[in-house]
Amino acid sequence: MNNGLTWTVVVLPLLPILWMVLSSLRSYRDITSGDQLDTSLPFQWQNYRDMWVNVDFFNYFKNSLIVCSATTVLATLSATCAAYALARFRFRGSDSVSVGITVTQVIPGMLFFLPLYMLYRNIGESWGVQMLDTYHGLIFLYVALFTPASIWIMRGFFISIPRELEDAAVIDGCSRFGAFVRIVLPISAPGIIATATFIFLLAWDELFFAWVLTSSSEVQTIPVGIRLFIGQFQNRYDLMMAAATVSTLPVLIAFFACHRFFIKGLAAGAVKG
Amino acid sequence: MRKKKFDSFPYLLLIPAVLMMLAVNVTPIVQGFYMSLLKLNQYTLGQYLDAPFIGLENYRRVLFENHSPIRAGLGFALRNTLLYTLIVSILAIAIGLAVAVLLNRDFPGRNFARTLLLLPWIVPSYVVGSLWGFMWQRDVGIINVVLVDWLHLFNERPFWLLGSNSFWAIVIPTVWRAWPVMMLIFLAALQAIPEDQYEAATLDGVGKWKQFFHITLPMLKPVIVIQFMFQIIDNVYSYNIVSMMFGNGAGHPGEWADLLMPLLTRQSFSYWLFGQGAAVSFIMMLLMLIFVGVWMKSFKRSMTSDE
Repeated sequence: MNNGLTWTVVVLPLLPILWMVLSSLRSYRDITSGDQLDTSLPFQWQNYRDMWVNVDFFNYFKNSLIVCSATTVLATLSATCAAYALARFRFRGSDSVSVGITVTQVIPGMLFFLPLYMLYRNIGESWGVQMLDTYHGLIFLYVALFTPASIWIMRGFFISIPRELEDAAVIDGCSRFGAFVRIVLPISAPGIIATATFIFLLAWDELFFAWVLTSSSEVQTIPVGIRLFIGQFQNRYDLMMAAATVSTLPVLIAFFACHRFFIKGLAAGAVKG
Repeated sequence: MRKKKFDSFPYLLLIPAVLMMLAVNVTPIVQGFYMSLLKLNQYTLGQYLDAPFIGLENYRRVLFENHSPIRAGLGFALRNTLLYTLIVSILAIAIGLAVAVLLNRDFPGRNFARTLLLLPWIVPSYVVGSLWGFMWQRDVGIINVVLVDWLHLFNERPFWLLGSNSFWAIVIPTVWRAWPVMMLIFLAALQAIPEDQYEAATLDGVGKWKQFFHITLPMLKPVIVIQFMFQIIDNVYSYNIVSMMFGNGAGHPGEWADLLMPLLTRQSFSYWLFGQGAAVSFIMMLLMLIFVGVWMKSFKRSMTSDE
């Protein structure tokens, strides 16, 4: 009986997701007439073709992939380096960096979007480096936004690695950078994968700056593009649900590919605070 | 002998992260404070930081001048944000904890269940907003089909995205997406509680409920205290779900579903009142710092007790 209750609790929260997938396979007419639950209706697989035509969804999907992959690589890199410094060395200023990282979690960059927007605009006007409405503008911001939290996760992994390994390598004539790259990084691969997954999930989910800092469809990502299915000109919930399902796939794949490392890392990092 | 050599290695490793934090966190805060003292509107926007200096005028307008455009709906958004933050945080933690306790035992398929439960959190929040916005639709939404057609709870189909119902229309999807992570964290914390504490209590004839309140809860207190604080911070800045559910960012969520971040974004960009917008950001920042300061001070002991 207890197992029955457990599985009910497990399945119940999944119903909205099932509903999303089911609606994505219903025709426009079935949705507007409210017959979506009629099981005799055939699946409308065509929605998964029309969604790329009705809105140029491929463009937004491609932009999301470019921005999020670049963000993941760069933010993982910067977070890994910073986390190693904070986990292994005592140096002047290390405490202020730690406090700074905590403060960025309490006052996120999002709160100061107006000065950020003005800063981006002004860099374009006075230095001639276009930041608004560009891939690199968005990527730079995302890397900076997601690095601090990722540092905490990576730091936990580095602390759990015994120091002796690096010391031995340094005694054997390895430089400290060499020891970091050749000894520490390979052992921390699970942690790095967990952190990278975490960053990819966050980046894929980012909507606020994707909207504030862009104005042309050339760089806009999925959360901006998916809005076009609903609004002034049309109400294509069928296509929107198909697009929503497709947009969930990359994060779902990333999650399932890495969920072993990821669940462990997330739980460990969060419990340690 | 020379003093110990200056070690540049950790500093080199930190350069990229610190530079980015300076660019995206420190600079905007400093510049934002300066902007909040300027008359920055659609006419002076081009002058950037050379716009006329007006001291604390923006703060006065935001706080005390009733007909200031940025204030339209600010009271509602503030009320909603407070209620929304509290209710979402409490529900996410309570449900997460309850399910964690339920799952914290051996049963066939335990790992699979845990993975499945995380799925709502994997779904991107903009998909959550669009999906629930569709589910709440009066005529074609599944929620009215279940509540009205199947369960006959209402005689007439309610409008979920209008009036005070819309408050719950934003709370429920947020909780739906937030609790799985809480569950995962509590599950990890539960596994760290030594088994013999429960065994001893069971031998002494202490019931399951009593064990929960006298062993589990006190042991989890440090985790709950920290997670509650992070939940509050997350939810105060909530934006994605509301903006996707109502008019896709351009529309007005109305008196009961508007939150501070959607309001601030909408008002700042539709009236180009950047000086006053920056003042609102600054007031929010101060309130958050006060909250976190008080919270950390009050729970300092229980937060550090596990180290």
